[in-house]
Amino acid sequence: MAEPIRTTLQEGSVKQAVIDQYADDVSPIIGVDNVSSNHIDLLSTCRDYWPVNSIWMLEGAVPALPQLVIWPQTTEEVSRVLALAHERRIPVVPYGEGSGALGGVVPLRGGIMVDLKRMNRIRNLDQENLLVTVECGLNGAIYEEQLNRSGYTGGHFPQSLRCSTVGGWLACRAAGQFSTRYGKIEDMAVSTEAVLADGTIFRGRSVPRTSTGPRVDQFFIGSEGTLGIITAATLRIWPLPEKRHLASYTFDQLADGLEAIRLFMRAGARPAVVRLYDGQETGNHFPELGDQRSVLILLIEGAAKIVHAEAEVIEQYVLDHGAVDTGPEHVEHWLETRFNISAASRLLQKGAVLDTIEVTTNWHNAHSTYLAMQEALNGVEGTMLASGHWSHVYPEGAALYITVVGFPGDDKITYYKKFWQAAMAACLAEGAAISHHHGIGLHRGQWMGAEHGQGLEVLRRIKNALDPQGIMNPGKLGLREVSKWEK
Amino acid sequence: MGEVNMEELLNCALCPNICRCECPVLQVSGREAVAPSGKARLAAMLQQNQLNWDEQVLEAVSNCLGCRGCTIYCPFAELSLCDELLNTRLTARASGVKLAVTDPYISNLRSYGSPYGQKNWSSAAGEKGAEVLYFAGCTSQANHPSAVESARNLLDKAGLSFQMIEEDCCGYPAEVWGDQELARQLAAENRRKIIESGASTLVTNCPECWLTFTNRYPLWGEELPLEVIDGPTYFLKLMKNGYLKPGKSKFKKVSYHDPCIWARAAKKVDQPREILSLIPGLSVEEPLSYGECTRCCGGGSMFQLSFPEKAAAVAKRRLGEFPDQATILTACPFCREGLLQEGRQVFELIELLDSVCE
Repeated sequence: MAEPIRTTLQEGSVKQAVIDQYADDVSPIIGVDNVSSNHIDLLSTCRDYWPVNSIWMLEGAVPALPQLVIWPQTTEEVSRVLALAHERRIPVVPYGEGSGALGGVVPLRGGIMVDLKRMNRIRNLDQENLLVTVECGLNGAIYEEQLNRSGYTGGHFPQSLRCSTVGGWLACRAAGQFSTRYGKIEDMAVSTEAVLADGTIFRGRSVPRTSTGPRVDQFFIGSEGTLGIITAATLRIWPLPEKRHLASYTFDQLADGLEAIRLFMRAGARPAVVRLYDGQETGNHFPELGDQRSVLILLIEGAAKIVHAEAEVIEQYVLDHGAVDTGPEHVEHWLETRFNISAASRLLQKGAVLDTIEVTTNWHNAHSTYLAMQEALNGVEGTMLASGHWSHVYPEGAALYITVVGFPGDDKITYYKKFWQAAMAACLAEGAAISHHHGIGLHRGQWMGAEHGQGLEVLRRIKNALDPQGIMNPGKLGLREVSKWEK
Repeated sequence: MGEVNMEELLNCALCPNICRCECPVLQVSGREAVAPSGKARLAAMLQQNQLNWDEQVLEAVSNCLGCRGCTIYCPFAELSLCDELLNTRLTARASGVKLAVTDPYISNLRSYGSPYGQKNWSSAAGEKGAEVLYFAGCTSQANHPSAVESARNLLDKAGLSFQMIEEDCCGYPAEVWGDQELARQLAAENRRKIIESGASTLVTNCPECWLTFTNRYPLWGEELPLEVIDGPTYFLKLMKNGYLKPGKSKFKKVSYHDPCIWARAAKKVDQPREILSLIPGLSVEEPLSYGECTRCCGGGSMFQLSFPEKAAAVAKRRLGEFPDQATILTACPFCREGLLQEGRQVFELIELLDSVCE
């Protein structure tokens, strides 16, 4: 007989009688088949893609277990199930496809997991205004496929495209690989529809801009389920591009590549994809280029004449900084392999501890933050690799994405905490922001105070106003300490 | 019984699953437990004795259509999740756990050699000793005998002598439902009859029969000592060699649904299209996903019997990918059965061929 599953972070749970009564009461609302306390459903929704969850899985443990899983299908259903949970003070965690990288769905206090994948309709495609209204549970690749059928693109291609939902993108304030042209999810979201903890439904207006006070829609983007559940959004779309231009260049010095990017962004070029890899990552992803130079990957798309002009402007700046033209084939290789994350599964089974840490720098500290974080990570015993690349560039800076792999031996969790402490300390000391697009979840909450200062207090007051019972995704976004993890 | 490959299973269990968008049961149900990695995790936990078998666990790991849609984007070249789940399910019976819903069909297989509650009507027909043996399969015989008639007509029109045998089920349903012992018994009986027929070529229009003959029979020690050839390839060959001369079709616009097994396991995606290209005046339009990227009709792994509502939901989703007004063609009895809803016209390729060949 199997032993009962061990939980590592469970802070508590709701009395079973309360859960049972809740299940009885929501069954007529959403259908009895859409309410489950079945152990396999609890086990399947208790985790996301946080590497620590994977380490625990290999050790036969889970972070925490919910007590009930429900699958509402409409905004009104979400409203009614939340109102009941609010009334009975039952914790609620929204769930999409579980691709979050920081433990954002771990049900620390048990309660209800609201799996939103049945909310997967495209409600309206507004071709005149280039807007689509889509429900939160739609898979990203299927969303894009549906738009493509009508001649449009959503322009949002996170590495998790095929394993994440539209609601997940909004909840964690995601960014896609083509973001320099199309923007991040908050740029695409013209309006949101959200359900507050007490069941109140908020529906924003899909107008281009307003001067009517702070945009309430934006409160929910990046709230990671702590302020309510985003049930739908109206997003910008684009006609499928007429022309796509691929180019790659290598630089002798990483800093030269960064400077060339800064200058072509300053000049107004907006390629969809801009990725500058350090020597280690160039060698790993493009072995034919070796590991001594840095490769810059560029993808420009849109109207043919504009693409041609952007390519010319960009080429001028990169060649002026000593770049060597290495042709389009490396971009084609990247396009083919960009969603492949198989290395993590293999490395974890070999005893590795790994993660990716994405931070936001300005141009003045882009290179120094990279050097400082790399030095800090290499200073933690067990680290085998600390490599990096920049992507998601802006006129004022860029996202720096660090990959860490270590083989610490038995005490994997201690090593994991140590290298994150080192990386975050270096990042903050350089004045960079602690996350660009993975979000905060459970794990990164411990640095939210250092990141926001009094801003965190503002967030806490908003949280208390919107969710006075504290039922929405407890312990996330750094709104309170998670002592079982942070100690 | 195949061994579960733990390394590959864990590769899937530890992966966020860039295949999720291609898992039909996940997309129609929205349940994490039936996501590819959800099933892989449960299977891995069973193997590591972290979970006990019960009917809920078995139902979750049985929620695989065997469509191999998850392989389209899978980064693990050696991983076949549907095979790992199949091997996992085969260990359930030893623990005394089975899916109650499949009991009547297993019982039918024992009584009639077919899951459909009646004996297959195929008999030792045709010319005894003929080189070609046509194997119709249980599903066509039970649900769509006119497709079998079309195949026989085509062989007659080609002027070829052929034979049929008193068929038992190939064994595929018994195995997907976890009763490999029964599957092997059926295989042994079929093998005996096939050998006795003296045929040198076995043609089957059912992809599941083809897969079972070519993939499972050798594993069960029942390898068939003759060439096993799929219907699309065989009938295309007859057309190319002048045995079948197609005339004009009564259909104006058709769209071909690639059955998952033909497309992804057998890699037979060109043959059906070549057949269509040889029929004069036919306008062919592809559905949204096609070829090796086809999507399941909901009929894989006997879902039409074991999970009929889910099978219908998967089929409905797939139907939305076809052009309006097009007649849907396919080459699998399960696909035809699944896609026959919402007033769509669906035929098997051999029926079209029969109608255009003199």
